[in-house]
Amino acid sequence: MPQIEVQETGDPGDGLAAVVALRRLADRLEDAAVEQAIGTGWSWSEVAEALGVTRQAVHKKHSHRLAAAGISPRRKP
Amino acid sequence: MMGTDGRFVRVVLRLAQAEAVADQSPSIEAEHMLLALTAPQGGRARDLLAEAGLDHDAVRIALAADVERSLALVGVRLAAGRMPRSSSLPGRKPRLGASARWVLHRAVAAARGGPENRIEPRHVLVGLLNARVGSVPRALDLAGVDRPALIARALASP
Repeated sequence: MPQIEVQETGDPGDGLAAVVALRRLADRLEDAAVEQAIGTGWSWSEVAEALGVTRQAVHKKHSHRLAAAGISPRRKP
Repeated sequence: MMGTDGRFVRVVLRLAQAEAVADQSPSIEAEHMLLALTAPQGGRARDLLAEAGLDHDAVRIALAADVERSLALVGVRLAAGRMPRSSSLPGRKPRLGASARWVLHRAVAAARGGPENRIEPRHVLVGLLNARVGSVPRALDLAGVDRPALIARALASP
């Protein structure tokens, strides 16, 4: 597994900018991964458990966006 | 040329909001205001940016380069140099973020003392250029922009 190496530049601005960039990347990854999961048949409960949050939280955050894109979770048989 | 009065702020915020939507950002930030100033409605600010070699594409490339560099510092490399994309909620209207509020505060300060205290495009540009930290000064430094010189020109030329 490749190592993640955190470089020390001595400039706190660099560290803070990295935090901002990582937060943005995490948000984008979450949006894309939740969309992919729901689109391929995962339930809201499964997505919530995988993210370590409640079903209500993940549903509130993503359901309107995915519904507008025509992506809905599978129906239980 | 559009906007040499207070209405310009509303124009630039509307343009910045569109930039935030395109960027899939939950809020309007300083970088979206900088991108907005490169639009034709940016007036004198747009001209000053263009003279410094900054059109919309150049600003976007500089901002992306800063994100890329910041992520590289913590060992992260984006595939194809791009953030992951997903669907967006149609009609979403990002609200003003903290960094954009700071820009407006500094724009108001820059306009104070001028004729009729009106906020002009160049004052919003000064509000952006006067930021000491954050994505905008970092991106402009990466692009080789002489920020103090650009501020002086913006303040000197109505």
